Amino acid sequence: MKISLIVSMILAGMLLYPGTTIVQAEITDQLVAEDNCVSCHLEMEILPADFQKYDIHLQRGLSCAGCHGGDPSSDDPEESMDPKKGFIGKPALKDIPQFCGKCHSNIDFMRTYRPRIATDQVQQYYTSIHGKKLKSGDTKVAECVSCHTAHAIPSGKDGRSTVYPLNIPSMCDKCHGDSEHMKGYKIPTNQFEKYARSVHGINLLENKDIGAPACNDCHGNHGATPPGIESVSHVCGGCHVNNLDYFKESPMSEPYVDLEIHACEQCHGYHEVSKTSDEMFGVSEKSVCNECHTEADAGYIAAQKIHTSLSNFVSAYDSAEAQLREVQKKGMDDVEVLFLLKEAHQVLIHTRTLTHTFTPSKVEEKSQEGIEKSRQALEIASLEIEDYYFRRRGFGIATLFITVLVIALFFRIRSMDKEEK
Amino acid sequence: MKTNRRKFLNFLIGGGLLGWISSVVYPIISYLIPPKIPEANVSSVSGGMAADFPTNTGKIIQFGRKPVLLIKDDNGEFHAFDGTCTHLDCIVQYRPDTKQIWCACHNGTFDMSGSNVSGPPPRPLQEFTVNIINDEIIIINPTG
Repeated sequence: MKISLIVSMILAGMLLYPGTTIVQAEITDQLVAEDNCVSCHLEMEILPADFQKYDIHLQRGLSCAGCHGGDPSSDDPEESMDPKKGFIGKPALKDIPQFCGKCHSNIDFMRTYRPRIATDQVQQYYTSIHGKKLKSGDTKVAECVSCHTAHAIPSGKDGRSTVYPLNIPSMCDKCHGDSEHMKGYKIPTNQFEKYARSVHGINLLENKDIGAPACNDCHGNHGATPPGIESVSHVCGGCHVNNLDYFKESPMSEPYVDLEIHACEQCHGYHEVSKTSDEMFGVSEKSVCNECHTEADAGYIAAQKIHTSLSNFVSAYDSAEAQLREVQKKGMDDVEVLFLLKEAHQVLIHTRTLTHTFTPSKVEEKSQEGIEKSRQALEIASLEIEDYYFRRRGFGIATLFITVLVIALFFRIRSMDKEEK
Repeated sequence: MKTNRRKFLNFLIGGGLLGWISSVVYPIISYLIPPKIPEANVSSVSGGMAADFPTNTGKIIQFGRKPVLLIKDDNGEFHAFDGTCTHLDCIVQYRPDTKQIWCACHNGTFDMSGSNVSGPPPRPLQEFTVNIINDEIIIINPTG
């Protein structure tokens, strides 16, 4: 009795646990076999083109009738697709948010599947540009299906999902990169190309770092709207928190607001945010300071000083790093050097972040801290290399002594033999 | 002539023996004298005296090649984690205000069990074992 109870509990646990894909697949196969909507449409080869058994609704036991209504137990099409039995059929594009919202906005229903699930997607959607335009009758804009598909919706954490972080940029680009589709909206259609070249795009799309921001991380997802002047810095500051804090306290903050300049975007761009370099600061051709500051003004001089501090630090760091590579190449102990350089690298990141204060003295102070750590690393690395040559010389001398000893012994033994004869 | 040759050979043998003894003895002495630089493979380090460590603070300790974040929480308990953020290798820090581990590079946060809570870090921080022996904090790498 006890054993059967334990077995039942284990089986119930397997059914409830979302990771039990084998059990889920069996349920889905059973559902597909028993559901007349699926079996008829499958037989007549008129299943939706995107129909997938991995769809999360199907996996959770929600078949066609769950969304489209009707009676799946009847094999008579007139009866199973009778509007009197709740059959809705294919919803009009403008009705899709409410169609999905029937369940997804109902917390009592949704919490039976996942207690922590959000149910404000439709509400957020109508605050977005997409939602507002759909409401005004523009059916070209994105609704739920445009992004999530209709019948191939796995969990957002599943790599097959169109809204899995790695897939989001190309998913948005389907419409936003289509100049024909976007005609009349007066917005560019090259965002994806720019994004793919950006530091964020390279990290997400090439390095597969799903921590790197995709379109929705800056624009929002269901409430997708371009960030305004006020919110751009907050969007970037969501991750680059110290950069924003330093900028806000800097002498540049207020003039930017007065001149209605986008704080981060002015120097870094937005979709094409490229990897920052120390050359961005200073007075060279690559500097972004030159765009506003001219020779001899206070900003120009500050930029020059900041660049000098950074360059000195980077030069010291690079020398130590080169010496570290030499230590590693020679097979010597790199523990201390590596740790010091890790610390110096952290200081370098902090120093680069401090450039957002636009205050040369703060950058110089931090640079000196980093230069000192780099100097210590260089010193230890040089000692290790010196030790390597000392050992090599020692080995050479020892070999010489042993060789001389062997030769001398050879002659000594020979002369002793001669004496005996 | 023979005597000179013998003397010369004896001198070479003596010198060679002396050199050989030196080349054997020197590495033994070098081995016995503790090196100035710590060993490459460290399995435990000292984090100082427990009584001297202020509560609700954290500090970075060198653990071989890597930094380890040692924290003393409000209850006086010690926790130690790999100090390198699992996102892009920045060094994390303890924030006494939020009582979380924070990476300043991209605003990633970890809780006091090392689990990644928010921001880009994809994985938790590796936890180290902390033992207090005669009031000394000993941090041990559980994976050896």
